[in-house]
Amino acid sequence: MNKEMVYLDNSAVTRLDKNVLKAMQPYFFDTYAVATSEFAYTMGIEAKEALNKARMKIAESLGAKKEELIFTSGTTESNNLALKGIMYNQKEKGHLIVSEIENFSVLNTAQRLEKEGYDVSYIGVDGEGKIKFEELKAEIREDTVLVSIQHANQEIGTVQNIKKIAKLLKDKNILFHTDATHTFRRIPIDVSEVPVDLITISAHTIHGPRGIGALFKKDSVKIQKIMNGGFQENNLRAGVENIPAAVGFAKAVELITEEENKKLKNMRDKLIERIEAEIDDVTLNGSRKDRIPQNANITFHYVEGESITLHLDMRGFAVSTGSACFSKSLEASHVILGIGGDHVRAHGSIRFTFSRYNNDQDVEKVVTAIKEVVENLREISPLGKKGSEKNEFSLQ
Amino acid sequence: MSKEIKVNCMGENCPVPLVETRKAINKAKEGDILVITGDHASSKKEIPMAVEAMDLELISVKDIDDYWEIKIGV
Repeated sequence: MNKEMVYLDNSAVTRLDKNVLKAMQPYFFDTYAVATSEFAYTMGIEAKEALNKARMKIAESLGAKKEELIFTSGTTESNNLALKGIMYNQKEKGHLIVSEIENFSVLNTAQRLEKEGYDVSYIGVDGEGKIKFEELKAEIREDTVLVSIQHANQEIGTVQNIKKIAKLLKDKNILFHTDATHTFRRIPIDVSEVPVDLITISAHTIHGPRGIGALFKKDSVKIQKIMNGGFQENNLRAGVENIPAAVGFAKAVELITEEENKKLKNMRDKLIERIEAEIDDVTLNGSRKDRIPQNANITFHYVEGESITLHLDMRGFAVSTGSACFSKSLEASHVILGIGGDHVRAHGSIRFTFSRYNNDQDVEKVVTAIKEVVENLREISPLGKKGSEKNEFSLQ
Repeated sequence: MSKEIKVNCMGENCPVPLVETRKAINKAKEGDILVITGDHASSKKEIPMAVEAMDLELISVKDIDDYWEIKIGV
C-alpha cells in the first residue's frame, strides 16, 4: 500500500529538505576528501574550509565561537560526550544531577555513570513537566560537578527556564549542560546571554541529515574524549569528519525562519483547540504556555495509544504514543509517569509533531480522523467508559 | 493473479490481530482476498472499522464455533 501519509512524527525525525541535499552533494562527488592541513592536497584543504564554514554558521546561530562546536553523530553522542566527558575529567568521582524526564541518552548515561561509582541525583518535575527548582537547589552539594537538564522535552514539549537554572548554577560554579535537540532553531538560545556550558543539538529535527549533531562546549570548559582514535574535532571526537552532513546541517540551520516557527505554533494551537473542543475526556500533556511550537501531546482517555496509532496509520497518518508496546523499552512513557500521570494516561497519550511540510489541511484531516477513531475505539474499549467494565489488559 | 491469504490470529489479543491484518494488507496485491481468523472479541469489531476507513471491501464477518472469520477484499 503506497498512499500519501500525513507525517506528524517530526520530533522523531524530519524529512530532509531538498536544498539541504543539494548543498551536501558536492561533498560526496566532487570535494569528497577528508579535511586536511594546509600542507596537503587542494581537495582536502577545500573540504576543511567547507567544514569550518559549516561549523561557523552553526556556532553563530547559538551566539558561540566556531572553536566551541564539536561535531558528533547526533543527540545521543553529544549527550554521552557532555556527561561522560565532564565527569571523567574530574580528579575525584563527583556528583551529577539530571531531571527524571530526560531523553534516554542522558538518563542511561547517568545510570551508567552511577554503576561506575559516580553519585547521581534525579530531579522531579511538576504536572506540566517543569523541573522542581527548589528540589534542584536542595540537591546541589559541594561535590556537584554537572547538572544536565533538557531545554525542552522530547515527548510533551515543555520548555524549561534554562536562564534561571543557568544563573543558579553559575553562581555556584557548577557546570550546566542542556539537551536542546527539540528547541534548536525553534526557540532561540544565545550563549552570550545565557551562561550554559554545554549544549546538545542535532540536524535530524530541523530537516537536516541524520547522523550529524554537535556539542557546544564553552572554550573554558574542559572535557575528556570518550572515543579513542584520531585527533579530529580539536582532539575531542575521533573519527573521519562527516563533511557532507556538516554542510547539510549548516544549510538546515540557515533554512529555518521565524515565519516557519510561527506557522508550526499556529498548527499546534489549532490542533489542541479543536481536539479539546470536539472530543470529550482528553488531557493536554505538558505546559500550555511554555511549549515548543511543533508539539502537541494529548491523552485520549479510555483508549489505548497503540490502537489509535494503528488506526490512524491505516488512514494515512503517522503519530507516536507513550504507550508501552509502541516503545522499544516496552514500558509506559517515563515522561508521562514523571508528570504524575498513571499508566492509563501514558497508554492513551498521542504525540503530534509538525514540520515545514505540514499545513492547515493536515490539521483538519487529522482532527477529523482522530475524532472518528477515538469514538469508534471507545465503543469497544475495554478500558471503561462505553466499553465493557472488565479490563482485559494488564496496565501495570 | 489474485490469491487468498490466510492470517491466523487465534489466541492473540488486541492490538495484535489488527497489526497482523495491516501487515497482510500492506503486502497484498489488488484483487487478493484476506481471510483473518481469531478469537479476541474486540478485534472482531476493530478490524472492520479499519477496513472501512481504508476503503477496502469487507466481504464478510462470520462467527464459526468459538472463533470469528473476517474476509477482506484488497
